[in-house]
Amino acid sequence: MAVDWKKILPIVGILIFLIFVPLVTSRTDVLTWFFLTLLYIALSQSWNIIGGFAGQVNLGHAAFFGAGALTARYIWLHFGLPFPLALLGGAVAATLFAMLIGLPAFRLKGIYFVIGTLVLAEILRLVFYTILPEADVMPMKLLGTYSLNPRYYLSLLFAVLSVAAVYWVSRSRLGMGLLAVREDEEAAEASGVNTQKHKLVAFLISTFMAGLTGGIYAYYGAAFRPGGLFEPVWTFDAVIIVFVGGVGTIIGPIIGSVFFVLLKQFLSLYLPGGMHVAVFGVLFIIVVLFLPEGLVELITKVRHRLLGESSQIVS
Amino acid sequence: MFGLVAQTLVNGINVGAMYGLIAVGLSLTFGVMKILNVAHGEFLMVGGYIAFWLFTLIGLDPFLCLPFVGVILFVLGALSYKLLFSGLAKFHEEAKVKNSLLVAFGLFLIFPQIARVLWTSDERAITPAYSGESFAILGIRVGYVPLAGLLVAVVIIFGLHLFLTKTYFGKSVRGTTENWKAAKLMGINVERTYLITFAVGAALAGIAGILVGMMQTVTPDMGMPWTLKALIVLVLAGIGSVGGAFFAGLILGIVEAVSAIFIGPYTMALGLVIFLLILMFRPQGLFGKE
Amino acid sequence: MLEVNNIDVYHGDIQALWNISLRVDEEELVSLIGANGAGKSTIVETISGLNTPASGKVVFNGVRLDKEPAHKVVAMGVCLIPEERGIFPGMSVMENLELGAFTPQSRRVRQETFEFVYKLFPVLQARKKQAAGTLSGGEQQMLAIGRALMGKPKLLMCDEPSLGLAPIVVKSIFEVIRQIKTSGVSLLLVEQNVRAALGLAKRAYIIENGRVAGHGDAGSLLDDERVKGAYLGTN
Repeated sequence: MAVDWKKILPIVGILIFLIFVPLVTSRTDVLTWFFLTLLYIALSQSWNIIGGFAGQVNLGHAAFFGAGALTARYIWLHFGLPFPLALLGGAVAATLFAMLIGLPAFRLKGIYFVIGTLVLAEILRLVFYTILPEADVMPMKLLGTYSLNPRYYLSLLFAVLSVAAVYWVSRSRLGMGLLAVREDEEAAEASGVNTQKHKLVAFLISTFMAGLTGGIYAYYGAAFRPGGLFEPVWTFDAVIIVFVGGVGTIIGPIIGSVFFVLLKQFLSLYLPGGMHVAVFGVLFIIVVLFLPEGLVELITKVRHRLLGESSQIVS
Repeated sequence: MFGLVAQTLVNGINVGAMYGLIAVGLSLTFGVMKILNVAHGEFLMVGGYIAFWLFTLIGLDPFLCLPFVGVILFVLGALSYKLLFSGLAKFHEEAKVKNSLLVAFGLFLIFPQIARVLWTSDERAITPAYSGESFAILGIRVGYVPLAGLLVAVVIIFGLHLFLTKTYFGKSVRGTTENWKAAKLMGINVERTYLITFAVGAALAGIAGILVGMMQTVTPDMGMPWTLKALIVLVLAGIGSVGGAFFAGLILGIVEAVSAIFIGPYTMALGLVIFLLILMFRPQGLFGKE
Repeated sequence: MLEVNNIDVYHGDIQALWNISLRVDEEELVSLIGANGAGKSTIVETISGLNTPASGKVVFNGVRLDKEPAHKVVAMGVCLIPEERGIFPGMSVMENLELGAFTPQSRRVRQETFEFVYKLFPVLQARKKQAAGTLSGGEQQMLAIGRALMGKPKLLMCDEPSLGLAPIVVKSIFEVIRQIKTSGVSLLLVEQNVRAALGLAKRAYIIENGRVAGHGDAGSLLDDERVKGAYLGTN
């Protein structure tokens, strides 16, 4: 495999930088900022696989994030098992749940799938708020020795793994099939692609990753209400990051996540919290109407215009 | 025993009237132009807030606000359609449907944040002097506000039904619903029909918002739960019948009121479960034709 | 009356029609014949405004049609009965006919037109309250024609009126078309049933693969060897 140093070097550089951040600073706000950005990268890449590559707009992603988070939390804090086991358990739980609802879910086509997944996550949210109304708090012993560093490195690891996973999917036979499904499901079916299987596999990978991300959040959060793990914001944030960044691209969710967290920080200084969502909402609409490949497309176009090349989009 | 059952029914119908009203608006939009407007509840929210403003700032009785809110939301709906959704005409059928849902999703992200800036996250209620008053019939409490709300809803739905069946434009709306290509070939300006239908849908949602503001509260995030309610009613009723949507709304209200007695906090979830089941097994709903 | 000049039409990125030119004069019945998928429907859909040609123009009584939206084309007096008939199944026969007279000028005289249509198709009057979707194939075709007539067209375009109908029904449909022509309406008839089409029409155009492959008098086309071989079979 030929190594393109021009592409590899900056990536290695960024990784080295990210590895050194917690060694250089111990400011919690900076570390939290990085942690959240990396978490969002992992979460949005997980959605990118089902929503971006397979073209199935799954608005119930929070259900799997939450399932992974809640399971991991319980295995770790309530059953006292080591965290790595809990993390794996959470991801497995999320995937099992996906297998359970995956087949019936994909019987719904198009917008019915979108609404159906949204409703499913909403049901879970309501149920968990009702049966577990109390906040789940880390025991005092853990709070005393709480360090942000392992959380940081864990989210860095998974951000990298999620990007690698998306890269792998995009280059694989699965990825080709998914793109065919995304373009025209009927045509893909007619040309021999087993669309159900492809969608299901993408779904399982996506939910496994979402479950892992949820587990990381469970490791990070000092206290939260379990229902809050299923809040639609976990889905919607991922969706808008992927769309605005560049749906179905590899870099898109990365750019989107950085931009998202930066914007959130910046706007919260002057405006009531949540305005970053409104800004992204506007960008989201612009992307849907005019710029289907999101910021990636915009950057490519600008770069080509500046460099005087023809505006051919290479994704 | 009779008292409990009857009271529950009455309570259910009170809420059901609002469900029916908001569902009808969504049914129109989805039926005519196949746009599933997931921001439909946002129009309800805006209507509620405008009525709140009119009531608290100039003391206008909320029932008198109805025409104003109707007009404002009509304009807002028309603008939204013109600026956002008509730009989707360039896509082919399937992409158009999917992208209009996404565009509506974008609106859903934007509206609550603007509402938060304008009105803060505090719960607002529209409480004219007669708010809590009620009278009793056969031992059942009937609130004046819910009763008036029910009457308003019935009048509006009936008016809409007459409009759709007796006027030329109303018939052209129904024709466009059944076959937009053929409608074009009749000389019907389908784009303008879409614009007006969407605007009417928004206006209906806004009016429902006034009722919600009086019977419950108005918050910036109330849009999505109400959109979901409208969706549940729609899937119960199926597309194509204005009266069917209204009755399905009443049914949902009653079902919720009854189940609240037995499963209390899970009532909302129950509605959503019913929704999923019907979506999977009987997508044309109880009244719809397939 | 109607002049189509050198239109090219695309479906998305795929070209469907190449350099199509044709003409329909006052009170003429002109036919478009050709195999399935040759592009005949695309031609009439373009004239009616459902498609816009990439180049060329469509002129009707001196007015350009090709830049107008479909509903304006109808107002100018050109009505298309599409291949699928396009009736509104959930609405009654009468409501379907009413909508046919949607444009202001036809709406004004609709009572008169109702009488004309009911005389032409008594079965529609008998079933006027029935839902259009419950009518038989032949009745639906009559409804589609009746509805188009409600628009008081100067030029009526019919796309495959005989499609899917029993021979005896087809005969009555063509009889109606003849009567419509007698009433002063020009007709552009798209038909796969070449023999019947050439029997009714004065002139015809042969459409093959999106191009005009030939045209002329109906009579001479019936005798043409190529037409006989390709479309009329051995008889």
